[in-house]
Amino acid sequence: MRFVHTADWQLGMTRRFLGAGRPGQAAGEAQARFAQARLDAVVALGRVATDEGAAFVVVCGDVFESNLVGPDVVGRACEALRGFTVPVLLLPGNHDPADAALVTRRADFARRCPPHVTVLDRAGVHEVAPGIEVVAAPWTSKRPLSDLVADQLRALDPAPSGVVRVLAGHGAVDVLSPDAHDPAVVHTDLCRAALADGRVHYVALGDRHSTWALPGESRIGYSGAPEVTSHDETDPGNVLVVDAGPDGAVVRPVRVGRWAFTRDHATLDSDADLAALDARLSALAAPERTALRLLCEGTLTLRQRARLDDVLAAHVPVLAALEVDTTELVTRPDDADVEALGLSGFAASAAAELAADAADAEALDALGLLHRLAGTGGER
Amino acid sequence: MRLLRIRLTDFRGVHDREVHLAEQGVTVLEGENEVGKTSTVAALDLLVDFRDSSTAAEVRAAAPAGRDAGPEVEAEIVTGPYRLVYRKRWLRRKLTELSVLAPRPEQLTGREAHERVLAILDETMDLSLWRALRVEQHTPLGQADLGGQDALTRALDRAASGASGAGGTVPGADAAAEDLVDRAVAEVRRYHGGHHRPVGPLREAIDRLAAARAEVEAAEASVAEVERDVALRADLDREVSTLTVERQGQAERARELEDRWSAFESRRLEVAAAAERAEAARERARRATDRQAERARLVSRAAGTAQAADAADTTIAAQEERDAARRADRDERRAAWEAARAAATEADAASRAADDALATARDRGELADLSGRLRRAEAAEATRREVERAAAGPRVDAAALEELEELDRRLVRAEAELAAGAGTVEVVAHEGAAGLTADGEAVPPGETRTVPVAGPVTVAVPGVVEVRVRPGLDGAEARRRVERAREERDHACAALGVADLAAARAARHAGEDAAARVRELSAVVARELGGRSTAEVRTEVDRLAERLRPEPDAKPPAKRRARGQPDGPALFDDPALVEDPEAPDEEARAARAAELDGLRRAAAATRDAAAAARRVAEEAEQAWRRADDAVRDAESEVAAARTAGAVARNDADRLAAELAEARAGSPDAALDAEATDTLARARRTEADHEQRAAALAADDPDTVEALVVSARRATESLTTRSAEVERRRAEVTGRLQVAGGEGRHDRLAAARDELAAAEREHASVSRRAAAAVRLHTTLARHRDEVRQAYVAPFRREVERLARIVFGPTLALEVDQGLRIVARTLHGVTVPFEALSSGAKEQLGLCARLAVAALVDAEDGVPVMIDDALGHSDPGRLERLAAVFTAATTGTTHQVVVLTCSPARYRGVGAARTVALSPSLPPPTAVPSPAPVEETPAEETSAEPAAPTDDPLRDVG
Repeated sequence: MRFVHTADWQLGMTRRFLGAGRPGQAAGEAQARFAQARLDAVVALGRVATDEGAAFVVVCGDVFESNLVGPDVVGRACEALRGFTVPVLLLPGNHDPADAALVTRRADFARRCPPHVTVLDRAGVHEVAPGIEVVAAPWTSKRPLSDLVADQLRALDPAPSGVVRVLAGHGAVDVLSPDAHDPAVVHTDLCRAALADGRVHYVALGDRHSTWALPGESRIGYSGAPEVTSHDETDPGNVLVVDAGPDGAVVRPVRVGRWAFTRDHATLDSDADLAALDARLSALAAPERTALRLLCEGTLTLRQRARLDDVLAAHVPVLAALEVDTTELVTRPDDADVEALGLSGFAASAAAELAADAADAEALDALGLLHRLAGTGGER
Repeated sequence: MRLLRIRLTDFRGVHDREVHLAEQGVTVLEGENEVGKTSTVAALDLLVDFRDSSTAAEVRAAAPAGRDAGPEVEAEIVTGPYRLVYRKRWLRRKLTELSVLAPRPEQLTGREAHERVLAILDETMDLSLWRALRVEQHTPLGQADLGGQDALTRALDRAASGASGAGGTVPGADAAAEDLVDRAVAEVRRYHGGHHRPVGPLREAIDRLAAARAEVEAAEASVAEVERDVALRADLDREVSTLTVERQGQAERARELEDRWSAFESRRLEVAAAAERAEAARERARRATDRQAERARLVSRAAGTAQAADAADTTIAAQEERDAARRADRDERRAAWEAARAAATEADAASRAADDALATARDRGELADLSGRLRRAEAAEATRREVERAAAGPRVDAAALEELEELDRRLVRAEAELAAGAGTVEVVAHEGAAGLTADGEAVPPGETRTVPVAGPVTVAVPGVVEVRVRPGLDGAEARRRVERAREERDHACAALGVADLAAARAARHAGEDAAARVRELSAVVARELGGRSTAEVRTEVDRLAERLRPEPDAKPPAKRRARGQPDGPALFDDPALVEDPEAPDEEARAARAAELDGLRRAAAATRDAAAAARRVAEEAEQAWRRADDAVRDAESEVAAARTAGAVARNDADRLAAELAEARAGSPDAALDAEATDTLARARRTEADHEQRAAALAADDPDTVEALVVSARRATESLTTRSAEVERRRAEVTGRLQVAGGEGRHDRLAAARDELAAAEREHASVSRRAAAAVRLHTTLARHRDEVRQAYVAPFRREVERLARIVFGPTLALEVDQGLRIVARTLHGVTVPFEALSSGAKEQLGLCARLAVAALVDAEDGVPVMIDDALGHSDPGRLERLAAVFTAATTGTTHQVVVLTCSPARYRGVGAARTVALSPSLPPPTAVPSPAPVEETPAEETSAEPAAPTDDPLRDVG
């Protein structure tokens, strides 16, 4: 039996570094493209399911960023799901728990929801098709007080023969969770035991945005988000195509995401370093789908610093986002910086004073401004 | 630096002109407009500032109009240890030549010469300040902006901005540093308005940030609201199920309690019926007892009233007896009172008679006294009149007598004078010559007699001879005087009515005696009458006499006559009283006094007797009235007692009748039996009720009732709570449904993104604004520091000069921009702007002179004053002249004054005055080395041409 395991669509999520529209306006351009890209990824994984001949698609939690997303987000999600040719099972996760505000119980969702979509808002066994069962462990609140997966597994008997049973759960597994006292953490040993005695044949999990499988047990794993959501993710943008059965499972990641959130680091001490950085930024593939975090360090003169600003300013419009951290970058004006101003008299002494106080960022800014004012003013 | 000489050739309108300046002090260049005064000085700037290769606008402007010649300037300058001649020609046949004459001779040309001059100037003075100052000096002092202030500031700013660049720098264009300050200010103004109020992008960023924060807070609140509702909904769900269980349990319990309670209810009805029966029996018993008591009260009241009626009869009898006794007493007292009253009336009459006798006696005494006085006064008055009549002869007073005596003395004197002036006849009677007479007198023999010939003198021997001697004309005047004096005296005697002087003296003594006598008599009259007139006294006497006249109807006069005193008019008929005023009067007075005393004592005695009789009568009356009152009281008491007795009797009769009637209806015994019977029945029914009630209470019905009520309330409460919970649940559900469709998460996400962007923008704009502020403050501080170096010496110098104009109390306030901010004079501080045009102009002049000292502390620099002082009055002009002197005395400073009205500067102790006249080119355009006015004809100074002319000529 083949199915597609995915999770953490987080529809309705925005990223701050992609900019914002002014109040009352639509979101910024990059933000809007990113939102569309995540819908595109959903559509893409639907095609994967069709192409791979999957029996169903299970989304293990966090379909929506929040139960309070707007009708536009809900409507677009429904439209994306409409193109699916296989049944889709949506599990409420920690972002969209099955509480009184559950988005998939809302009227706007119910009105547009395609018939092949099932919301797993009740815990327990759901029959997807004859011989195929999905055991749902939905979140009913934002802070569950027990291991929801274990609760379901405990209530199960071994699957009848001829029935393939998949558990759909959400939350951090104990081997990854930093908080050992979290009562909701998923206990992998219980999952292993359930797999071992045939109560379930695969444990599909959501919550972690990078693709991950329990070491030594490919049947317990996270699919990761279908499109990147954070710079901290190691392997996002995949869905898992799973062939599961009583005898084991074969798991195969398929890439659907197209965006990249990357980090970079540049050491800048000379004009050559600046040129190299410029070249490196120019060489980025698909810069319009790349959000780059750049850490700069080193020591520059005032003129070099101005050039760096020029270089970065030239790339900002092309990249989806460019965040530059210059806290490690020292600007130290040299004599030439001051001489280049061609000042004399008290203006020269003022410039020299500003230049002497290189540790003072404001003084440097003032000196930079002086450069600008002297540059645009009529020279003697 | 000092300019000794400057020569212009083909420079603007000047064809060729050389001007020598006084080496120190004031040089006045006077000439009409457009004669080239300004050009003469401006040429020096051109010479120093522009290379010969320059084609700057200033250079081209110096070219002569319509002639193909390059403007040329040559100047001889002393600066520091250097003395040099410097020549330049621009545009055509360009040329630069420098001859340094001292301290070491040097000859340079072209670019090197230009550089060398700049180096020398820079070495010996503040070249940049000088350069800046030169520019401003072309601004006339007297123009609207009044020189010296803003202009000087600009000059100093330029100097401070270090416009001492390489040669070729154009003065006036070196304001880059100041421009930077302006631009920095403009940059600051982009972000900060007045009072650091944010404006423009900074304001927008702050507003955006505030708006974003508010929006995030609002969005977070809206999301939190939903989260609270979700939690609330979960709580309400739990509560609903709990309540359902509770209601079932409560309903069962309530039913059981209701059953128990209804069983108690029927028993309680029975107890209530028994209570009603007991109450009815008690009521009947009470009525029977009341009737019994009523009868007993009636019997006792009948007995009481009969007794009271008897007592009243006894009282009446006693009182009637007492009344009779009181009446007798009253009548007795009334008789006593009437007797006393008669006695009192009689005593009164006696008292009044005594008083009348006393009054009459007094009047009579007074009448006698007054009559005596009147008589005596009239006698004295008659005597006085007599004396006055006797003294009615000639009246000679003291003054008339004295005058008469004087006239007599004059007569004697005149006679003496006559005798002295007349001749004399000496008659010698020899022995035996008897009968000789001289002037009527006999001269005995043997004697000699001298007779003056005042008038005719006759000497005769009777019978023998008679010699008549007559005075000559010499004695006539004296004789007339004697005659006149005698006439005057006789006339005066006649006027006084006396014969001669002795008679006059006698008359005067007689008059004085008569006057004394009259005064004496008048005093007697006044004493007797006591200041009153005779008529007044007489009226008083008549009045008294009238009063004493016996009245015919009154008491018989015989009674009075008994005293033996004369009555009324008889007083006046008694001649003795008038004629002998002394002794009888005295006796009568003593008699009258004794009589009066006796009468007074008798009157007092009768008065006392009358008062005593009245007191007795009053006491008797009071006693009678008291007795009368007592009788009246007793009568009313008797009447009251009789009324009370009648009432008591009536009551007793009525009650006796009532009792008899009641006993006829139901005898006393029947009433007693009924009361006993009904009381016994009431006790029985009460005991029955108590028994039943105790039985019911023993079963504790109150507790059961309380439990029932409580159970009902609990049921109600649960129902209410369920309804409330259901209502709230529906409410929350509704809210959640609405909130779900609102996209609150999206709003929050957008708001957070916006906040991040706003924070980024705000940080960036704030940083730019801070940079602008920092730059401006740094620039301004450095500029102020440079300016500061000039302030103190500048102010000292300006004050030194200005005190000459304004006096020693002057003090100035100078700001860092070297602006004169305020002037203090005699302790009064006035802002510069508020000063008069004249004062501004004078201070401006002082400032300009002072700044020359700043440029070159040793020699100063030539200060050009272009036709200033139009606003200064003659008095001030005189003082300003002293300023010029002070500015140049003791120093080598040069001042050049350009003017077209030289009179204004007459007072200035000019070292030299140069009158400029037009220096025109020769009529032909052919360049000729022989200009018409080559010679320094315009030099009017007596000072001979400086020997330094020669090197110039050599170089040229």
